[in-house]
Amino acid sequence: MNRSGNQDAMRAKRRLFLSLTLLVVCGALGALIWTSFSGSLVYFHTPTEIRETGAAKAGQKVRIGGMVQEGSLVKEPGTLKIRFLVTDGQNTVPVLYDGMTPDLFREGQGVVVEGPWRPGEALIASSILAKHSEDYIPVEMTPEGIAKSKESLLRSLQ
Amino acid sequence: MWIEIAHFATIIALLLLLVQTIAPIVGVGLGRPVWIRVARQASFTTAFLLTLAIVGVVVSFLNHDFSVKYVAEHASRSLPLFYLTTALWGGHEGSLLFWAWLMALFSALAVAWHWSTHPRSIPWVLSILGALGFGFLVLVLFLSSPFERLAEPPFDGRDLNPLLQDPGMVFHPPFLYMGYVGFAIPFAFAIAALINGRITDEWILATRRWTLFSWAMLTTGIVFGAYWAYYELGWGGYWAWDPVENASFMPWLVGTALIHSVMVQERRRMFKTWNLFLIITTFALSLLGTFLVRSGVLSSVHAFASDPGRGVTILIFMAVVLLFSFGLLVLRADRLRGEVHLESPFSMEAAFLFNNLFLVIAGLTVLLGTLYPLAVETLGNAKVTVGAPYYNKVFIPIMLGILILMGLGPLLVWRGDKGSRLLRTLMLPVVSGIAGMGLAFLVFAIDHPYGVATVGLAFFVIHAHGLDFIQGIRKRMVNAKEGPIQAGMTLIGRNKRRYGGFLVHFGVLMMAAGFVGSGLFQEEKNLVMAQGDFVVIGPWRLEFEKLVEIEGNNWKAQEAIIQVNGPAGKLTLHPQKRVYRDHQMPTTEAAIFSGLREDLYIVLGDPVTDTTWAFRVYRNPLVSWIWNGSGLMALGILWALMQGRRPVKTRE
Repeated sequence: MNRSGNQDAMRAKRRLFLSLTLLVVCGALGALIWTSFSGSLVYFHTPTEIRETGAAKAGQKVRIGGMVQEGSLVKEPGTLKIRFLVTDGQNTVPVLYDGMTPDLFREGQGVVVEGPWRPGEALIASSILAKHSEDYIPVEMTPEGIAKSKESLLRSLQ
Repeated sequence: MWIEIAHFATIIALLLLLVQTIAPIVGVGLGRPVWIRVARQASFTTAFLLTLAIVGVVVSFLNHDFSVKYVAEHASRSLPLFYLTTALWGGHEGSLLFWAWLMALFSALAVAWHWSTHPRSIPWVLSILGALGFGFLVLVLFLSSPFERLAEPPFDGRDLNPLLQDPGMVFHPPFLYMGYVGFAIPFAFAIAALINGRITDEWILATRRWTLFSWAMLTTGIVFGAYWAYYELGWGGYWAWDPVENASFMPWLVGTALIHSVMVQERRRMFKTWNLFLIITTFALSLLGTFLVRSGVLSSVHAFASDPGRGVTILIFMAVVLLFSFGLLVLRADRLRGEVHLESPFSMEAAFLFNNLFLVIAGLTVLLGTLYPLAVETLGNAKVTVGAPYYNKVFIPIMLGILILMGLGPLLVWRGDKGSRLLRTLMLPVVSGIAGMGLAFLVFAIDHPYGVATVGLAFFVIHAHGLDFIQGIRKRMVNAKEGPIQAGMTLIGRNKRRYGGFLVHFGVLMMAAGFVGSGLFQEEKNLVMAQGDFVVIGPWRLEFEKLVEIEGNNWKAQEAIIQVNGPAGKLTLHPQKRVYRDHQMPTTEAAIFSGLREDLYIVLGDPVTDTTWAFRVYRNPLVSWIWNGSGLMALGILWALMQGRRPVKTRE
């Protein structure tokens, strides 16, 4: 009687120990995910949005999507430095970039640039993503596409 | 003609799948086995009909039948024969048909193999697989038909996406699909067990090979994808945490958890509910993968051919599957209570428990990062991406945790060990691990804590596995009076699952080395060179000899001839910039020299002036270890697959 009581107590102790370990591990992983998550979100804007609300984003890493404005691309001779305007039809944002551009990058093409936003200056892009030609266009690539997919998704959820 | 045959065959298959779904229910309800045999015949016939449908589409491609819309959109007269065949899964219409075909094939095989061994489950398995196949064919026939004709056929097709005209991309999708669809069989057996209320180990034993096979296919598919991204996209990396990549990674993570926790149920009859949960989740994530890739709701660099309408249908399909399976699980909860409890935190069971915890949380991490932008975009107005830094920050610690458990695994015993004895067993491997860290820091000059930790843990894991093997040999030498080599061979031969698993673990270690090497020590140089210029990067000297124009079947390219002098001797590398005729879309063909120590990776850019071109050169340390490691994993799985059923031990 006494012995089995003892065993029960041991078992309860082990179970407590195990639950505590599980709790601690889960908590640590949760905290890890939470802290990394909030620090790694990159917001995606159109030039108009960044012009309107941009001051609030000062110093943050942002993504700006739009078209490379025709006639705005300037290359510094002999180097890989380029300068161009990203436009959404209403506003433009100047962008500086130093490095090799992706295969599809050219004037009139859709583009996503990413870098820290400093209002009043050009965006110093740390990366450029060119959008694929329209055959393979993911919905992201056009504002209408995004609107359409959102609409249909919302409709289906109602 | 052929496309009509294919279309007709698919329609009949749809009807037969309805029969396959309903007949077994009637058969069980009325107690008339003949109905179940009808369902079996329906399943075989469906497999045949869908094979015919696939043949019909492929023949249309081979005949350049551009009056078929799907063919016109994904092929051209100049497309090489090989890609003409594989264009079948170049777009989503064909992909879905391909998926349905695999499903029918696997169903028929499963029914044939398990018919006499699992008579109680088979009716339900038939019914569930029938319903799943039916759902997919509805999608194929009513929402994305590859059988549509064009009223005015063009003379030539639009050609296959240049990025898909590559061997890596040809193998990547079918392997992924085989993995996804393969998980449907264990899923069906699990649901069958839930329905007929006999929730024993039967479904796990019946489907062990299916699970391993599907997992191996999924692994291979993911690695093929990474390999393709590495050499075809020309950005020097192999994994970008793109939503579409994540889509296949999530079922992989949960599937890996399943493979491990199944062992606990076999040996200790624990984790019953958990295993059911895992297989349902794995399969649901496979469906989610299809939804994410094929729906277009996710902005992704390679979400080919997307359509929101289809996405909604897949979403509904998925919701039905999820509600049905989890509902069933809840209904049967009373029968699932385990009679065995965890006895000690220092036991194999506990190690598996934590292994599962880590893997499932890893899966959740990816799910959160993948779906969060979608949720924000749908519900709010902001657009947001969750970048690679998030995944890297979360993933590396989780993976290191898994490596610790991997090393502990062979040292722990079922039911638990005394703390003091465990400490004695642990001592040497831990010393080995510390030595490994020292070696990493002092000899290899790795100064990043994660790098040092990985090397140390690799030593720990290898030592632990070696120790286990040597102990096994010793035991056999005493018990069976065999020589050491003989004993080792018998051990490996008799215990294919265990040592196959060990091999997989070594493969994982090799891959980890590759990730650490390329992740922490990649060196990149952007430069501009004229003909005759040279550049030195690390031990390599690269000379830009000349630029030539070359031409392929349906493309033209500028190709740089680069003379390389380095640790591998003299080499000539040919980075290209290709333009495919029908798509004014340049693609990069990186030139790669792949070595054991590092890859030399050259990308040709645009002309900067009339006589100079941009180049990007990378030194990618240990990248080949990733591919070789995955090969080792495949070998390990193959070995484990060769072991038949293990009789259930009733007592330890």
